[in-house]
Amino acid sequence: MKKLILYLLALSVFVSGCSRSSDTAAADGTRRPVIALMPKSKGNAYFISVRNGAERAAQALGIDLIFDGPTDPDPAKQNEIIENWITLGVDVIAVACENPEGISTALRRARDRGIKVITYDADSAPDARDFFVNQATPQGIGYALMDEAARLVGPDGEFAIITASLTAQNMIEWQRYIEERRSTMYPNLRMVALRPCDDLKDKAQSEATALMAAFPNLELIMNICSPAVPGAAEAIKQAGKVGQVKNIGLGLPNENKLYVHEGVTDTVILWKTEDLGYLTIEAAAALANGSLAPGATTFTGSLGTFQIQGDNILLGEPFKFTRENIDQFDF
Amino acid sequence: MPTSSKSLAPQRLPATYRTEVVLLVVVLLEWLYFNSVGPRFASLENSYDILRHSAEIGLIALVMTPIILTGGIDLSLGSLLGLCAILFGKLWRDAGLPLPLAGVATLAIGALAGAFNATLITRLRLPPLIVTLGTYSLFRGLAEAITHGVDTFTNFPASFLALGQGRWLGLPAQAPAFLAVIVGIWILVHATAHGRAIRAIGFSAEGARFAGIPVSRYTTLVYSLAGIVTALAAILYTARLGQAKADAGTGYELFAITAVVLGGTSIFGGVGTVHGTLLGVAAIAILNNGLVHARLPREAAGVLTGALLLLALSGAMVPKMVERLRAHRRTRTASPPTPGSPAPP
Amino acid sequence: MKRYFRELSVTAALLLVLGGLAVAAPSFFQAQPLLSLATREAPTLLVACGIALVIIGRQIDISVGSQFGLCGVCAGMLAASGWHPVLVLPAGVAIGALLGAFNGLLVAGLGLPSIVVTLGTMVTWREGLRWIRQGQFVDLPRDLQWFGLPQAAGQAILIATALAIFALLALAMRGLAGGRHVYAVGADAEAARLAGLRPSWVTFKTFVILGALTGLAAMMNMVQSPQVDPKSGTGLELKAIAAVVVGGVAITGGRGNLAGVFSGLLLLACISPALIHLRIEAYWEKAIQGGIILLAVIADGFRRHGKG
Repeated sequence: MKKLILYLLALSVFVSGCSRSSDTAAADGTRRPVIALMPKSKGNAYFISVRNGAERAAQALGIDLIFDGPTDPDPAKQNEIIENWITLGVDVIAVACENPEGISTALRRARDRGIKVITYDADSAPDARDFFVNQATPQGIGYALMDEAARLVGPDGEFAIITASLTAQNMIEWQRYIEERRSTMYPNLRMVALRPCDDLKDKAQSEATALMAAFPNLELIMNICSPAVPGAAEAIKQAGKVGQVKNIGLGLPNENKLYVHEGVTDTVILWKTEDLGYLTIEAAAALANGSLAPGATTFTGSLGTFQIQGDNILLGEPFKFTRENIDQFDF
Repeated sequence: MPTSSKSLAPQRLPATYRTEVVLLVVVLLEWLYFNSVGPRFASLENSYDILRHSAEIGLIALVMTPIILTGGIDLSLGSLLGLCAILFGKLWRDAGLPLPLAGVATLAIGALAGAFNATLITRLRLPPLIVTLGTYSLFRGLAEAITHGVDTFTNFPASFLALGQGRWLGLPAQAPAFLAVIVGIWILVHATAHGRAIRAIGFSAEGARFAGIPVSRYTTLVYSLAGIVTALAAILYTARLGQAKADAGTGYELFAITAVVLGGTSIFGGVGTVHGTLLGVAAIAILNNGLVHARLPREAAGVLTGALLLLALSGAMVPKMVERLRAHRRTRTASPPTPGSPAPP
Repeated sequence: MKRYFRELSVTAALLLVLGGLAVAAPSFFQAQPLLSLATREAPTLLVACGIALVIIGRQIDISVGSQFGLCGVCAGMLAASGWHPVLVLPAGVAIGALLGAFNGLLVAGLGLPSIVVTLGTMVTWREGLRWIRQGQFVDLPRDLQWFGLPQAAGQAILIATALAIFALLALAMRGLAGGRHVYAVGADAEAARLAGLRPSWVTFKTFVILGALTGLAAMMNMVQSPQVDPKSGTGLELKAIAAVVVGGVAITGGRGNLAGVFSGLLLLACISPALIHLRIEAYWEKAIQGGIILLAVIADGFRRHGKG
């Protein structure tokens, strides 16, 4: 038995030794640039719509697109896939970072190997990438949410926040700006509770129900993860508090159309996610062929011209989906 | 834990031996397949990637092996990794301890946490599954409560980060620690009387007690050991990622258990090997890595790991089933219906 | 009295928590939110009962959360493709029973350890689901919510169904031969075999029942909202097992009853809303839940210690 194992081991070493010689041949010669695009996690409708945009761009530009990421938002897994891509030898890595520090070590290593790095959706440490496709700054998102809340409930009142998890970096960031805006502009609006819903619609519904019971004067629920928006809306509807408790949040139009039309959810804030995917791939391709370089102030692609602030490519302001315009979008 | 088929374990010995060979073949097939579709898969660089990425889960799987050999299980190790990581960060940043001291203190905390599990199990004679289900929530909850979920420890000095990202004699820096634990656990389980005692407890804790084996002391040993090595994994994790956060290590316990069981260790205890566990870790790690090279989606890793686990288990049962069938036929042919006994219908 | 000490102590703990809430946060006791809470927890009660059965039979199933998600999504897709609700709901239950039978076949038929088998199916179903749906919600036809009835009627039906099934199961476990068989197999499979039972057949049946109950629970969850989240059911197994353990069912099989599970589930289900009412920050929730489970477990330990 031991002999068999040794034999197999020897075979595998031999085989791996043989194959190493072959990989250099594939590396040179002309080939389509390979761009690897990573979401924060797979199985998330938001990133599916980003991917749709990215795939259209890849098709138009003749690019080989890899779309992969961890199945759950996990910085360690993101880090590993990046390192695998480095070894795989892709040309550009475009990534939405679950949290900045954990992934930056891998991204720096990628840049050391001459791979271009671009971040989108959520940034890494600035020195770990070339550009950040900024769909909306945390500040822009936080302020927009808070302003919308104040517009709906007036200068004083109580509101609660439902988040995905207490550890998600971008949501922590948004909360900071929501709080900053609140304390400077609307000091009489009080944030009474912050509850996690584990990124589950069903749990968000339970949380919203309990929140409305515990805080009878609650006037608004602000959902900063996408499954929570329809979850909280269903809770408000079932509690018979439509109109009394407003519902806003970051979410996808398709998941919320129903509630927006019923008047349960007032405003859904997001950007055009397909455009985000498209722009990311276009910028990545430009970075790869050298037409986009540090120092540029604008970037012109088939979607139009975008401002570049420092090394942030700006997609534009967050978009507000309301009853009037939500039917124009399908993602 | 269900223990009903414990009496069958001795007969399964040859079958588990075969499980490891089957697994070795699976690992080689994986290797050959991914090598044929991904030109860089078999490069030395990529082998190092695989090693680096599987070090922490590998460490947890290694120390899970003696636990499962005693018929126990520890679901809390992933959560403990998170708790140790943030405590390590806290000791260093907030308490101002120098890193080596913070590291030693973290190892001690890991040992304490493991001993806490062991105390509940031995003193109160509680099922490990339930005790560690409780500490699974408790450790993760503490980590979140201490950091309020938000606090992230970063900006570690480069000399520390090298532990997780650098090279040592050309090998990934994790390799020496990983290797040391492999050798240590292998000797403990396979080359000492302690290993035999651990397996004896897995076969029958009661019987082991009557044979004069200090069951409680061994239980405390394996769970505390698991705590220490998990703390070590937490430090390596922190060094590899350059940050410590309360969500570190989520789900690692399931990966580790999968690797151990895939490696032929019986979940009922008593039977299993450390090298089997290593093969199990390799099978999962190569799958995870190879899918990137084969450009297959990540969900496939989950589906394939699950299916592999079920197949390996069912496969290991086949010889037993054949044996049972044969025995059945033998008794039927050997004893023709005798007058007086009712004829079979 | 002494025989049901464990169950009574959980109920006492529950009453203590409720009493404490009555003093510290009387706002907890409002009809509408409590009704809502009961409706939300009704599916969990069924899953917890099913798991209790399996655990009493000395097995475990950690794949129920994934089964729950799979049943919900499959039934939702059937409904979206135009199946009539009268067909969709039984189909969902049947899918659950099939998934349960698959686990049962591997556990009872091949004699594989249930925790490992269900670990495998848990991961496989969940990742498969992610692969197919990519996280996209399934939109249901409008008339499916609350079975097309007014909300109050729908909630009443759901709560009544859950309670009726719970009562039937509890009585069956006490009074019917089938129920006693589960205890017998859980206490000592070999003795049960010598007494003329077929332990593997009994085990198989408990897994099928659990699967069917999980399917039903998924259906009861589905009719509460107009969309199905493909991630629904994530973590359900831990919630249900925790309720079972806190409720005094011995994880080693053969002991415990469904009334205890009922109290255990209520106790755990109250924690999260209670924290909101008490204005305690969410960071402590997991630690508190873990603490309750450990306390229950320690109580079990002392009890067994006392008996020697």
